[in-house]
Amino acid sequence: MYQEDNPMKSIDLPVVKAESLNQDYFILWVQEQSLAAQTKAGQFFQLKVPDSQSLYKPISVYDVDKAFIGFFVKKLGKGTNALSQLRRGDLLSLIGPLGTEFPIQSKKKVVLISGGVGYPPMWYLRKQLAKQNDVYWLHGGNSKQDVFPCDEIWTVDGSLGSKGFVTQGLEAILKFNSFDVIYACGPEPMLKAVYQLANEYKVKLYVSMEAYMACGIGVCHGCVVPTGSSENIEYKKVCDDGAVFDANDICWSAL
Amino acid sequence: MNRLQTSLGKLQLSNPITVASGTFGTEYGSFYDLNSLGAYVSKTITLHPKPGNPPPRLYETEAGLINSIGLQNPGLDIFCSQYLPKLSSSLSIPIIVSFSGSTIEEFAFILERLESVEGNIAYEVNISCPNVENEGIAFGVDAQTVRKLTERLALLTNRELIIKLSPNVSDIVSIAKAAVDGGADSLALINTLYGMAIDYKSGKSKIKRGIGGYSGKAIKPVALALTYKVASAINIPILAMGGIYNWMDALEFFYAGASAVAIGTGNFVNPTAARDTLIGLEDYMTERNLTLKDVIGKVEF
Repeated sequence: MYQEDNPMKSIDLPVVKAESLNQDYFILWVQEQSLAAQTKAGQFFQLKVPDSQSLYKPISVYDVDKAFIGFFVKKLGKGTNALSQLRRGDLLSLIGPLGTEFPIQSKKKVVLISGGVGYPPMWYLRKQLAKQNDVYWLHGGNSKQDVFPCDEIWTVDGSLGSKGFVTQGLEAILKFNSFDVIYACGPEPMLKAVYQLANEYKVKLYVSMEAYMACGIGVCHGCVVPTGSSENIEYKKVCDDGAVFDANDICWSAL
Repeated sequence: MNRLQTSLGKLQLSNPITVASGTFGTEYGSFYDLNSLGAYVSKTITLHPKPGNPPPRLYETEAGLINSIGLQNPGLDIFCSQYLPKLSSSLSIPIIVSFSGSTIEEFAFILERLESVEGNIAYEVNISCPNVENEGIAFGVDAQTVRKLTERLALLTNRELIIKLSPNVSDIVSIAKAAVDGGADSLALINTLYGMAIDYKSGKSKIKRGIGGYSGKAIKPVALALTYKVASAINIPILAMGGIYNWMDALEFFYAGASAVAIGTGNFVNPTAARDTLIGLEDYMTERNLTLKDVIGKVEF
């Protein structure tokens, strides 16, 4: 008999609450005590509609509250659109929790920065950090549809908050304050810009990377990001080496 | 009575359900007992470690998956010293080691090294990966080369020698016959088809390298047709794969002439797909009082 020591689970759970935020974003909640207890900020689950012939979609954990786990999802394609159709009582197929977690600090000055669908993991992370740290959260999106509650909002079209890229906000606060750690999640161009700023102002940076996935459990090697130096790239898997990486490990020039 | 007993040449399998190289790992042991499978198939190993292709490497289409992994693997040394001993000690089912090379000598070198490792081991020779330049498909498209390579390898081993064929050829039967003439014990087919996807809004390829390997539901009719075609032309067993997600898909391949099947992309759609396929097949055979032998190659027209 051969079974892994720390088994992952695939499980079907009823949706206990389905919230539509606007035409692009929605939140699904499930209830499962033991899964909730082991789910850390920065981790994700593979989600799909039961019996669908499509792949699972990797969705980061938005919140854990007692036995409830929340997934904040953007409709991006067939899989996420199917998930958006789920209503209270419908079954959701899950595999997880998967991937690495954000390292939790104490007594630090912390910046969270998120872009677009990078928002959800920051919500749970902020909850974990807020008790023992001084946390400031900037979030940016294309338009007011893409932004949600935080400390500082940026939109590319200026429809809500400051007009421009959220990284402009980061630069402004780094210029006049000292911080110990930055956590970032969002599209690659944003993460690259955050990395440059973190380097310039010498602040420790952790990033949560996004990637297209198939298995989600470390088998297929489909979801890789380049790490190491540009002369000697090592592709690491977002699903089990990440999704949270120390930004210094990523080979940003190869992205 | 084991209704699902089957064999691939010299290799006796307690059931015909295996997994496609590159789509499986011991991680699936979290979901079910891997020793329930007919055999375990490793990810393809090459002589030297391969970093793999730049991302994006994946794209899901309407009915399948395009991949461009590029045979990322730790190389023969680490596989033999770390991975294979761990597999051998924990699995009681046959382990089919998939490997690839860039010259006939390199294939031979790898096989000789694997010969030194004890265990219930068989070989699947990957001459059909569409995602690498020098290994893989470069070997699988020319009948002469396939024959020479198979001859060379067959002389070096008494273990089961499976040649894995590509669908991306004009005449798969001539390639299959070349492998048979060279001394293959069985054939595995099909590897992925060439596939590509482009974002119509930006004009950008969804896969960094452009063309990748296409698998999943969409390729099942192609795989079934090629299985039937090859099975009708040769007399060694076939390990068939291509879009098998469940026991009903698997049955179709047995009717077409396969002696065993592999689940590939189906593992990603359902992590217990291989086990579920096995259970479904057992139930079906028991209900109808059939054995696998009653079904293999018995397609009617």
